[in-house]
Amino acid sequence: MTTEELDPLIHVPARLKIIATLAALPAGGTLTFTRLQDMIGLTPGNLITHLRKLEDADYITSVKTGNGVASKTSVALTERGRKALDEYTKALRDLLGGL
Amino acid sequence: MDGTPDTNGTTTADNGGEFDPREAAALLEQTKREARRQLNLAPPVVTAVMAVVVLAAYTSLWLSVRGQHPYTGPADWAIAVTYGLVFLVIGTVARTTKRAIRGVGGTSRRQLQASTAVLLAAWAAVYLYMGALYHAGASHAIVYGLYPATAPLMIVGLVGAALSGAHEDWRTFGTTLAVAVVAAGSAFAGPVNVWLAMGIGLCVALVASTVANVRLHRA
Repeated sequence: MTTEELDPLIHVPARLKIIATLAALPAGGTLTFTRLQDMIGLTPGNLITHLRKLEDADYITSVKTGNGVASKTSVALTERGRKALDEYTKALRDLLGGL
Repeated sequence: MDGTPDTNGTTTADNGGEFDPREAAALLEQTKREARRQLNLAPPVVTAVMAVVVLAAYTSLWLSVRGQHPYTGPADWAIAVTYGLVFLVIGTVARTTKRAIRGVGGTSRRQLQASTAVLLAAWAAVYLYMGALYHAGASHAIVYGLYPATAPLMIVGLVGAALSGAHEDWRTFGTTLAVAVVAAGSAFAGPVNVWLAMGIGLCVALVASTVANVRLHRA
């Protein structure tokens, strides 16, 4: 096994932190953008970029609620994203076991 | 985590090939641990405070009933001390919970709200039943001794264990089940010593929960 076999969407520090943090919630749990940003320490622009990539791959979903100043975006890990993280973790374990 | 370079645009952000698998494994574990810590509703400091509080509260109740013949129940001063300590714990738990659930929604929030409602209802039902025992003519040893010392935490402990088991929160399941077992066992100590037995038993259960909590966050 080589690093090329690790999911390239997850095998990036920022996105790994995002997915691992969302995975700490039970299925169906959501985190607001602000809380997620506080928890993993990314800048807003950087976080948005990575969230878009993960959402395009259907690893996360995002929902915007409210209007104007009071609007809030919440993100959640999808079933596909949770499975992807499990597979990534297993692949990582297998790779490191072979090193 | 905080040292991970994150501002270098697309080179570091998109090039997973530069991301060493060992660093990835370390970052994954660190992130999981940190997320669990920040989302924990009952961090070690809270359960440690609760351990001290229950020991102090139940010991004061026990001291106030020692030597009562016939048994009449805890003195007003001991009840006041207990309620004061209970409100202290409620305040601490409320602050901690508010911090942990900030920004959390969806299933997590709904589960917490439903669990809280069920636990409060169970607590209220236990005390309503105490009124029924009094009106039925049960002795002071039961109404102001064995029953209030053990029944609330036995019932709420079992409800808590059922809820946490359903959510597969095994640490909370263990703690709440231990509380229920301590309550059931302490009833055999009699109306006077039940207070001391509860204080010591609950303190031990909460200290064990604190230790388990600390180990979980270091894992």
